[in-house]
Amino acid sequence: MKLHRHTADLGHATAHPVSHRLQNIWLWLAAAWLAVIVAFALLAPVLGFVNDPYDLTLEIKKGPSGSFWFGTDNLSRDVFARVVWGARLSLLIAFVSTLIGTVIGGVMGLVSGYFKGWIDDVIGSAINILLSLPALMFAMLIVTVMEQSLRNVIIAVSILSIPAVARVARAQTIRFADREFVTAAKGMGARHLRIVFREILPNILPVMLSFAFLAFGIVIISEGALSYIGKSVPSPSITWGAIIASGKNHLEDAPHIIIFPALVLFLTLLAVNYIGDRLLQRSGSRG
Amino acid sequence: MPEGGSPASSGRSGFARNIGRRLVWLVAVVLIVTFIIYWLLDLLPGDTCEVLLGAGATEEFLEECRDENNFGSPLVVRYGTWLGNALTGDFGELYLSRLEVSTALGQKLPATLWLVLYTMIITLAVSVPLGMLAAYKRGSWADSLVSSASFGFIAVPAFVLGLLLILLFSVRFDWFPLGGYAGPTSGLIDHWKSLALPAVTLAAGAIPIYVRLLRADMIQNLEENYAAMVKAKGMPTRTLLFRHMLRPSSFTLVTIAGINLAQLINSTIVVEFIFDIDGVGSFLITSVLAQEYLVVQTVCALIATVFVAVNVLLDILYPALDPRVRRKP
Repeated sequence: MKLHRHTADLGHATAHPVSHRLQNIWLWLAAAWLAVIVAFALLAPVLGFVNDPYDLTLEIKKGPSGSFWFGTDNLSRDVFARVVWGARLSLLIAFVSTLIGTVIGGVMGLVSGYFKGWIDDVIGSAINILLSLPALMFAMLIVTVMEQSLRNVIIAVSILSIPAVARVARAQTIRFADREFVTAAKGMGARHLRIVFREILPNILPVMLSFAFLAFGIVIISEGALSYIGKSVPSPSITWGAIIASGKNHLEDAPHIIIFPALVLFLTLLAVNYIGDRLLQRSGSRG
Repeated sequence: MPEGGSPASSGRSGFARNIGRRLVWLVAVVLIVTFIIYWLLDLLPGDTCEVLLGAGATEEFLEECRDENNFGSPLVVRYGTWLGNALTGDFGELYLSRLEVSTALGQKLPATLWLVLYTMIITLAVSVPLGMLAAYKRGSWADSLVSSASFGFIAVPAFVLGLLLILLFSVRFDWFPLGGYAGPTSGLIDHWKSLALPAVTLAAGAIPIYVRLLRADMIQNLEENYAAMVKAKGMPTRTLLFRHMLRPSSFTLVTIAGINLAQLINSTIVVEFIFDIDGVGSFLITSVLAQEYLVVQTVCALIATVFVAVNVLLDILYPALDPRVRRKP
């Protein structure tokens, strides 16, 4: 099916004409940035220099300074502290949703690619139907129907990543389903469950992992867009999207409310996309 | 759609059968999607009639309202009624203003269509030359620059880019309005100004994907024998690229456009909201917030139909664009 072919092409289309060593430096930089972000998110409550993100300092819309690195927002709260605390929720949502999406999508893809026939028809159609709904509209509906809460936002954005992951997993499974070692395992009387999880899964895992990084990026963006239209986790919870949305009415006199969280968001997306892309190239050349 | 994708399966009759199968698929998807949405909206908490009539409404009025809107009968019956009406172009009316949904949508549609049109124009005008350049000068600094820049732009979500553009070009420089939509009848310049930033925001999301895929495709084309032939005949590079490389790549462009459509619709919803454009996307968001579920239902059905229809159409179009698909046994 042509859709599959083009998803697979994405990986090879990006062979950057740069030397290997330079690429490795970028890879380490990306990994280091993610490590810093995760460390900040995890350690936020114990880091002495991170202020209370809800504390009203009475310094309204002040630009960046020594005491407030990213400035203060319209309610005089420390934007740096809010970005650090926002990372906790943004990364948590992204991590859990990616995990759910990858596991469910992966199993759907494995089952439909391995068994083919009517199972493939049913799952394939389900994937295509999910793909034909504009994802954001669907997420918005789910959050509206099921009330706005952390759990429901996670469910909504997880559903967004399922069809894309399933499509990739299915295409990958088809590549391996007729290989000699699978036939050999069948000949030795292995059960389907064993073949799928012990023979095929390890082979498609590298590609699935690289897509998990790419999906992570998509999920962060989706949550941000939901926040922007006011349909993500309700305030006072802080996510990066919520911080950016809170600054949209103060562009004239306090652009730093948007610029700093946007920069952090951008670097994080760049890092996960880069790592995902490099992993995809590596797994592609091996398979 | 499972494996029915390639219209090349078997000769003319196979081709016709394929179109038939795609049309059945189209109808099935639209039915399933609209039903899922109808069902989701039915799960919504709160009584629409209570919202409409306010807290002080008597039970009598509530009953009447429920009867009028058919809220009492089972889900499938109500869905059937809705579907039957929708097929005749009757999508119901807004609860609050009593305006017909189709009329309201008709008012919102032009802004969205113009926006999408300008987005497509900008996307093609930028990504075709850039993709060609990157492919033709493969490995050069220009290629690295194009590839890195597209990689960077993928990491900028539409809602961030839109805000930054407003910040820079509307707040700092005052070149464009802060938001709002001006129709073409109220002056072309104002019309373009009102849609320039949103269209650029949308295009910036699509261009990286177009450039990456087009570059890969062009590199393959440039390695074909006929490319070497054109070069050997001493044709100028421009002829080679625009006359001989673009036609086979138009096939890829169409595929990308089809795949990218869902993404485009998604971003359009957010971008219209950011730039306060009175289009279908903003209408959808405000309707969700205002519990105007008939609008939500209609817009969702419309979007799903357009999306699937475009993809079916593209599948039918491939043979016209690429003779290789036509002739294959």
